[in-house]
Amino acid sequence: MRFQDAARDGRAVVYATIQADPLVARVAELLAAASRAERILARAVMNGESTDAERWRRIFPTLFGPGPDAAGRERAEAVLAGSLAVADKGEQVRSQFRGAIVEELTARLLARRTPAAAVRRERRILFDGVPAEIHPYDVTVEVAGSARAYDCKWGARGINADVLHQLDDARSHALDEDGSLAVALVVFDAERSCRVRLDAQTAPHGATRLVALEQLDSLGGPGEAGR
Amino acid sequence: MDPDTVGALLQAAIEAVDGLADLGESIEDEWSYVNDLRQAWTDRLVEAADGPAGAHSAGPALVEAIQLAIDEAGRISDPHRAIDWLSTLPQVVLLAAGFEA
Repeated sequence: MRFQDAARDGRAVVYATIQADPLVARVAELLAAASRAERILARAVMNGESTDAERWRRIFPTLFGPGPDAAGRERAEAVLAGSLAVADKGEQVRSQFRGAIVEELTARLLARRTPAAAVRRERRILFDGVPAEIHPYDVTVEVAGSARAYDCKWGARGINADVLHQLDDARSHALDEDGSLAVALVVFDAERSCRVRLDAQTAPHGATRLVALEQLDSLGGPGEAGR
Repeated sequence: MDPDTVGALLQAAIEAVDGLADLGESIEDEWSYVNDLRQAWTDRLVEAADGPAGAHSAGPALVEAIQLAIDEAGRISDPHRAIDWLSTLPQVVLLAAGFEA
């Protein structure tokens, strides 16, 4: 099993520009430190129609009402501002930003417990005698004995047969080589919605871990390296 | 049901979920997913509304929050975005009312 940079085709070059946008890093950094409620705020605002900050504050009274302390309020305000900056972009660009943010968030959470140099983006995984997949993996952790591949999705609807096959194929090819590769789907959406989506899939996914919005912090937890 | 209770607000959210699902199911390939999602979130909202907290009186901030969230869902005209909101709206409403998703 070998990891390799993905080929830089036209789509990759355009997408790399989005990935490198400072707004992606800013929002991912905020979401890495955010609570579950603040992540739901970000999802709603980046999915929503309104770009009126005051309206969103009123929709989320538990974050902007009298309850939170000054630090909590400040964090929620920062998440709101970053999310509105994404929402302000046109529909297609907004969609690309959201995808890039989930990838960056995943990489940042993983880097809490893994040397940053081992957390890579847009990588292919090669196996002897197996044609390489066309699409690279969003995030990989390239540590001997604890290699992992993550596919990142903004919403549950992004879970599909192609993604599930690619993850499971890589896992089983690694086993064929007497190696191991843990595979996971990271989805910035409620676990309930992800389970509904997964339940309807016939592609193999029994060995693919789901990391939904509620479990994002587990990526930076002590158990992640042992997956 | 008393219109100022948490349960009544959640019932209004269920109607908004139905509206989103009706819009989202126009994407033919996603008909099953949309209706499975509608059912899953409706079940959760009904469970919350029928529980002990459902009978509680809702304060003005909660009433406004859920009404605005429903209004936000009502602004959506794109079926793809409606599918996204079919998952998002219940999370927002449950969070506002103090329930787990």
